Amino acid sequence: MSRLALTAEGSVGHPSLRRLVRSELLKIRSTRLWWALLLGAVLLVLVQAGFTAAFEGEDQGFGDVSVLPPGDDPELLRTVYTQGFFGGYIFALILGITGLTGEYRYETITPTFLVAPRRHPVVVAKLIGHLVVGAGYGVACTAAAILAGGLVLVAKGFDLGLTADGVPRAIAMSVLAMALWTLIGIGVGTLITNQIAAILVGVAVAYIVEPLAGLVLSVVDAEAVGKFLPTAATTGLFESFDYGQSLLTWWQGGLVLLGYAGLFATLGVLLSVRRDIT
Amino acid sequence: MVGPTSMTGAGVPIDVAGLTKRFGSVLAVDDVSFRVEPGRVTGFLGPNGAGKTTTLRCLLGLVAPTAGRATIGDVLYRQLSDPIGTVGAALEAASFHPGRSARDHLAVLALGAGLPEARIDEVLAIVGLDTVSDRRTGTYSMGMRQRLALAAALLGDPPVLILDEPGNGLDPAGIAWLRDLLRGLASEGRTVLMSSHVLSEVQQTVEEVLILAKGRLVRHGPLRELEDPASKAVVVRTPTPERLRDALREAGMVEAGSSDATIRVTGSTPAAVGAAAFRHQVELHELSAEPSDLERIFLELTGGEDQP
Repeated sequence: MSRLALTAEGSVGHPSLRRLVRSELLKIRSTRLWWALLLGAVLLVLVQAGFTAAFEGEDQGFGDVSVLPPGDDPELLRTVYTQGFFGGYIFALILGITGLTGEYRYETITPTFLVAPRRHPVVVAKLIGHLVVGAGYGVACTAAAILAGGLVLVAKGFDLGLTADGVPRAIAMSVLAMALWTLIGIGVGTLITNQIAAILVGVAVAYIVEPLAGLVLSVVDAEAVGKFLPTAATTGLFESFDYGQSLLTWWQGGLVLLGYAGLFATLGVLLSVRRDIT
Repeated sequence: MVGPTSMTGAGVPIDVAGLTKRFGSVLAVDDVSFRVEPGRVTGFLGPNGAGKTTTLRCLLGLVAPTAGRATIGDVLYRQLSDPIGTVGAALEAASFHPGRSARDHLAVLALGAGLPEARIDEVLAIVGLDTVSDRRTGTYSMGMRQRLALAAALLGDPPVLILDEPGNGLDPAGIAWLRDLLRGLASEGRTVLMSSHVLSEVQQTVEEVLILAKGRLVRHGPLRELEDPASKAVVVRTPTPERLRDALREAGMVEAGSSDATIRVTGSTPAAVGAAAFRHQVELHELSAEPSDLERIFLELTGGEDQP
């Protein structure tokens, strides 16, 4: 009867967080989506970082505010080397969104919650698993940015400048920011469990709504609000090129981004725990 | 047959008491109470939409009941210390990521539950998927998915099995295989609860039936009792009903609920009725056994629509 000690708490059968994280990592590894997204991210990063480096000191086509600093300016270097984030974060966001919505779309949420009927640990494990993979995306994308951007800069006769003012910190922060945006994706997926809708909304908010909101806010002299939007806060964290927007300092931006990730992660846990799985 | 760790000792019953679940204005489950005993296969029958799946999901902690309790061995599923080692459940044959292999699907669950990898091979062999386990489940037929869902349910070698429509999509050979598997598991002392909307699918498998209709439990008892031959009727149609009635009276047969040319006879068999008619040279246009009580109840509930 030892196997049927039904009421004993914390027996061998109760899933530990460690086991659940390994299970979540296997979920990600065992389908092809993670590398398809990573491939897309790296390709986009190579192009974006290469072009950003190529346009050093030049107008990107939007007038004065879009004139990039020259190739030996630390701000330009920070901008080039954080293209790993700017090229890849939408893919990390999608990874996070699908990490949650996929469970509902394919109904694997049922066996997932049967293994761990107390749901908090599952969602926490999902957050940790995606944080790890998101950081991996960050490393790969940042490496791609340094490769493509560095090659162009060196070809144009500049130094690599990896140790220039604020550059090492910006590189480290771009890896961290990528991981945090994956968490935001999990939160978006919990709020909108329909996968297609969640991806559309996530991408639209990041690529269209936020830049438009930033523009509107700057026109109505409310830039003080605009710099707290998630992408603007991330740009502040990197101290990268601001296109004339006012930005938060690096540590303020970091705290704001942490706040977003924490908010979405908490929403993810709270909403998943109460929901009926029908 | 399930492996070296097969269960021993007393079984674990399932108890549902006053279970009610309301989704908005829809009353999906309405004050349902029953007990499922170990050591036999219990059929959970009812038409689609009767509330079977919702009842099972309440039992598994996936849906929060509006009122009442559903427990396994007197413990709520959420409070089980070893959920996968206590209850094996297969709810939909579609609960797989189409891009993930069967082996990886089981490995994800085994990792979470802390089960050894060797157990994955064991359950794959039990359900006969061992040679195709590295294929993505998106390429699987409905029958293969049912087998994989069953493999997942068996992972923890649990004393309780809860299977929602496990026969869906299985061919007749698959149904026969499932019957032998479930009866074998029950004979080891396990509690087996399987739902179905097709009576003929489970008639050979279950010993006990629960019938649910519109969220309410309408029948609960041994299949044998519901199929009591005394409650079966023989239906006879003849152009000369008066002559047939004479013949039946002479043979001591009981006539029940007849109309014009159609006569129903209870407590007899088509052969005996036919013989009585033959002795009196009564012309017959139909001579058949009416569906059993169970089938009749079930057909009334389903309106016959879901019968294959």
